Amino acid sequence: MGQDKVLVLTDQVAVSLSAVLDAIKAVKKEGVETIDPLIITQASLESVSSVESSYVDDVISISESSEFLSDQLLVNISKVLKPGGSILLRLSSQSDSGQMTKSSLERKLLVAGFLDIQSSESSHSLGIVAKKPSWKIGSSFSIKKTLKVLPTVQIDDDADLIDEDSLLTEEDLKKPQLPPVDDCEVGSTRKACKNCTCGRAEAEEKVPKLGLTMEQLSNPQSACGNCGLGDAFRCGTCPYKGLPAFKLGEKVTLAGNFLAADI
Amino acid sequence: MGSIEEKLDNQLLILHASQTGNAMDAAERLGREAERRGCSFVSVLSIDEFQPSELANMKTVIFVVSTTGQGDNPDSMKGFWRFLLQKNLTREWLKGVQYAVFGLGDSSYQKYNFVAKKLDKRLLDLGATPIIEKGLGDDQHPSGYEGALDPWMSALWNTLYRMNHKLLPDGPDIATPDSILIDQPKILVNYHDANEGLPPPSTTTDLEYLEMQIKGARSMAHTKFSGKNKPDCFLKMTKNHQLSKPDGGKDVRHFEFESVSSSIEYEVGDVLEVLPGQSPAAVDAFIRRCDLNPESYITVHRRDKENRVLNHSLFPVKLKPFVELTMDVASASPRRYFFEVMSFFASAEHEKERLQYFASPEGRDDLYQYNQKERRTVLEVLDDFPSVQMPFEWLVQLVPPLQTRAFSISSSHAAHPNQVHLTVSVVSWTTPYKRNRMGLCSSWLASLDPNQRVVIPVWFNKGSLPPPPPSLPLILIGPGTGCAPFRGFVEERALQSKSIPTAPILFFFGCRNEKNDFLYQDFWLSHSENGGVLSEDKGGGFYVAFSRDQSQKVYVQHKMREQSRRIWSLLTQGADVYVAGSANKMPSDVLSAFEEIVTNESGVPRGAALRWIRALEKAGKYHVEAWS
Repeated sequence: MGQDKVLVLTDQVAVSLSAVLDAIKAVKKEGVETIDPLIITQASLESVSSVESSYVDDVISISESSEFLSDQLLVNISKVLKPGGSILLRLSSQSDSGQMTKSSLERKLLVAGFLDIQSSESSHSLGIVAKKPSWKIGSSFSIKKTLKVLPTVQIDDDADLIDEDSLLTEEDLKKPQLPPVDDCEVGSTRKACKNCTCGRAEAEEKVPKLGLTMEQLSNPQSACGNCGLGDAFRCGTCPYKGLPAFKLGEKVTLAGNFLAADI
Repeated sequence: MGSIEEKLDNQLLILHASQTGNAMDAAERLGREAERRGCSFVSVLSIDEFQPSELANMKTVIFVVSTTGQGDNPDSMKGFWRFLLQKNLTREWLKGVQYAVFGLGDSSYQKYNFVAKKLDKRLLDLGATPIIEKGLGDDQHPSGYEGALDPWMSALWNTLYRMNHKLLPDGPDIATPDSILIDQPKILVNYHDANEGLPPPSTTTDLEYLEMQIKGARSMAHTKFSGKNKPDCFLKMTKNHQLSKPDGGKDVRHFEFESVSSSIEYEVGDVLEVLPGQSPAAVDAFIRRCDLNPESYITVHRRDKENRVLNHSLFPVKLKPFVELTMDVASASPRRYFFEVMSFFASAEHEKERLQYFASPEGRDDLYQYNQKERRTVLEVLDDFPSVQMPFEWLVQLVPPLQTRAFSISSSHAAHPNQVHLTVSVVSWTTPYKRNRMGLCSSWLASLDPNQRVVIPVWFNKGSLPPPPPSLPLILIGPGTGCAPFRGFVEERALQSKSIPTAPILFFFGCRNEKNDFLYQDFWLSHSENGGVLSEDKGGGFYVAFSRDQSQKVYVQHKMREQSRRIWSLLTQGADVYVAGSANKMPSDVLSAFEEIVTNESGVPRGAALRWIRALEKAGKYHVEAWS
């Protein structure tokens, strides 16, 4: 995973190496030896902000007073943390009454946007860990705002081309007219309406349905002489349409269509 | 004016931008018709073979351009179009250039012939002179684009002739061609001795031999094949599972492949191009029907405009594999010109008449019904006209080239080393003549048995879906087989999330019935539980629309609207949008849903929302892979 970047803050003038290592161990389970933490003593709001945004994997704060952990400090810490990064607050027990401090600190972390807040106490210190969220997950408690402003989208380099949509006229943009469907030809796929008034239904009655009789298949006849020649020569209403070529009087065989469904 | 000027004056340049070959075919027809009218110098080129900066030096240019289903220009035109859109080109740049535009489109789409319309206007704005008004071919017309092409072409020749007799010295009209075939085949076939052929299989491995055969055959074949000739890799199929239940009326397969040659390399979102095998029986039938010797060794050469033979140093290939690897005999439909040339080689009078009828303007509609709409194959056409014997040269030129088919890869290479998976719907339909037909490549793949060890030549290409970095939030919409690339996305991100923080994914899937075609159901569900990359806990989500499980239709766009807030949340975090699936109306329905969501959630008016989404597209954050 590469070396993690750890920032250690303290309001003290000096902090012992063992305190720092101990805190790091509490946050990181392994690889502690290879970590090279940045340590800021007498830390202020400004000194925290001097660290680059979204830069640090973990922030550890070691302090005696809970006053050090102001709302603004927590916000500044959140900024320098990478999404998904963690924070550990260590307070030595010389500070004020335990319970109140714990719950007020937990609330502060929540307000500053941290998640997964967990506290643990030992004989000499209070420790609270939390995580900076990776992504905004839904927004179940946000009020729907009318923004009126859309997020900016980075477009590169096309500033030197004209807008091609400007080449179209109003007319072009309208829905195109489909060509008139002229399939009054009987025998094509359209069928007559139920209450046909144009006479198509009657004409259809006269056309033999595509289902040929066994008689027709075993002894095919053709008045026009073209039916046996294959689809290229058959007229639109030919009953043998779709079948292979045949000789008059001989049974029609269904020749191998190499792409007939037979898998 | 020197003779060079004169020469340019009497030259015709025809540029085509074709996606499926129709525009190219129309352009080649225009070229032929010009030659028949005596035009001394006709050049038919794909628009990406032409240097756009040269356009100002041309005198007479005809453009034949297709518009894809999404309203975009074909791939071959993207560079040219970008050049033309430059702001620094003046209104005088194309002064002196005469042009005409013919567009191929489909009026059932909102963006009908947008490419031709925009091109026509831009050329006009740059100072070029239109010869005639733009022609707009329409797939919805009873005879397809030819319905508009014939009258437009007629007007073109008449006007060109009026403007300059020398361009078409034989006049704007030609008499109906008689039994003398005016054209020459653009192909020359040489026959060789067996010992000049490829080194026999004993000195090379089977795979090396096959590779050389494919490369040799495809580089010789007449039409330019997209991409390279030598396959990137040979695969064998290791799994062939049916994902859908037969009740649903669909056959969707999950295929897994392993390499048997070089190692596999690809990224999620990439595309696998497959060269399908043809039925051995069909290839044999074709060879028999055309009276060819399958064992002869051949080299195939192209003749250029001056009738010189372009010589490549080629080693001869056997005729049968040449046919098998490059000529589509049992699936694709031939074009009108095939019928025209056939008529010259028909010995039976009634066949000759019928073929001439089909090739004429009067017979155009009937040809369209018989051939294009019915998807008549070359073998079927030859069977219907048994007296026709076409020389092999003409067959090589006119039989449709065997095309590769592209599929979105549905696996993550990181998750499955040395494997590649596909999710394929076996295409089947009933023709207007009530015959049952299946897609060539999908049915061939579905018929393969992993135990048979059939070798499959493939290429790995980029598609329209760039692989997203793990920190990028994603909104994915992929109904039906559109889910294929997103299976790879999810696999990859799930793997990445084990070691680094990853951004959430919202995925919208759709199908007909939960019971029948809920593809990869267990897979999606497992990743949307337990803090997986599709889980709501992690800021993501997985939502399914079952269109036919209730009385009213529910599609992905309805599910999107239900999750309006989540979608908006991810969009404001800089999410990319990926849409994949069947073309038709889905991509535009999804776009409308986004417009609504942005409008409602942000409060801006609809127009501003649409412009913002367009900005996403321009910024490369809105990706669509649509197939038919």
